[in-house]
Amino acid sequence: MTLIEHIRGESARLAALCTACGACVEACPMTRYAAGVEAAGPGVVAAGMRDVLRDGPGTPEALAWIGACTRSGVCTPACPEGLDAAFMLRLAQWRAKGALGEPPRIRVKEDTQYSPKVKAFARLTLTEEEQAKWL
Amino acid sequence: MAVARDQAVFWYGCNMTRHGEVIRTTARLLDAVGLDAAPSGGPANCCGSPKDANARINEGMAKRTIEKFNATGRGTVVTWCPSCHMNMQDSMAPVTPTHFETVHVSAVLHARRDRLRPLLLRPVPARVFLHAHLGFNGRVPVNALVAEVLRLIPGLTLVEHPYRAPGHMCSALSGVPGALADAQRATLAAMAETGADTLCTIFHSCHREGVALERHGVRVMNWIHLLAESAGWEAEDGYKAWRNAADPRAAVGEAQIAAAGEVAFERLVAPELAKPPMV
Repeated sequence: MTLIEHIRGESARLAALCTACGACVEACPMTRYAAGVEAAGPGVVAAGMRDVLRDGPGTPEALAWIGACTRSGVCTPACPEGLDAAFMLRLAQWRAKGALGEPPRIRVKEDTQYSPKVKAFARLTLTEEEQAKWL
Repeated sequence: MAVARDQAVFWYGCNMTRHGEVIRTTARLLDAVGLDAAPSGGPANCCGSPKDANARINEGMAKRTIEKFNATGRGTVVTWCPSCHMNMQDSMAPVTPTHFETVHVSAVLHARRDRLRPLLLRPVPARVFLHAHLGFNGRVPVNALVAEVLRLIPGLTLVEHPYRAPGHMCSALSGVPGALADAQRATLAAMAETGADTLCTIFHSCHREGVALERHGVRVMNWIHLLAESAGWEAEDGYKAWRNAADPRAAVGEAQIAAAGEVAFERLVAPELAKPPMV
């Protein structure tokens, strides 16, 4: 199985079980950072997130919520269906970032200097022997 | 006859290279509790999350990492980074079969705390506020595990406060405008309320973002630094000193800059060290 197949399969499985009740949105500590979420209401936002999992475009407020997810994880115990809501958000975030090859719908924070930066700091804090063995 | 020791990989992640002394000390602590844990991290041992916007590349990076860990023959991978840990469970292992179990370092040190206790002889007189997040704690109860380990340190008082920052670690908050500053303000307020003098970080990105709070008159240490201090082990926090220095370049020193490479230091390191505090 590829990661793309895993993301598609888990998205479909969880979207089929989700009732879009909005309990996950209500529990989320990040909604204040997501434009339009409070006005739209939890059920509407959850339905928009579920739409993203179903290959749909989502809604602006759902995408704002997906983009503001920082993996607090409090949505999972809040789900009355017992779903791993945090993983649903993770899947939605992958998809909204364009991980499956579509254009991104939320901001993608990607540091092109990530690897060289990690290595530059390693040269400052690790001995040459440690770098050779541990990197 | 020599006693066989448990063997593991200590997967410290990527951004931990800013804190070499934490990697070194954690490996030493694991060794002290009976686990020969070979440190492994950096871009060549990545979970793939830096390429979250491209599942094909993400998968390739993750697969390479798992295959390397499988090839070690070690049956346990001890994680440090909550992001790596969750990615292993959520996207790496379901795609590429693993020949090891994944355990967080807090769970290992907590489970073997009877062997840790005799090392922690030096009092660390401090009123400590544990910088806890809501996230990851549902997977591994890291906030309670670290708190119980810290309580082994003589002289240390762990203050109680209900505040938990959103997210799983501070790097996640830094991607949402306003969220990290709000969390840092709330942390300082909780510390003031409880009379804490020391902020104890659990994860590397929280430490990286949190060290600048020393400008508010509090001490910022990672839990591994506190354990090292109690054990009497050298674990100087170079990153904190550099980040809070008026002249980071002078604080790092020309010899180390030469080791890192002048261009690399100026382009990749110096901007981060000169970053103004969030609050």
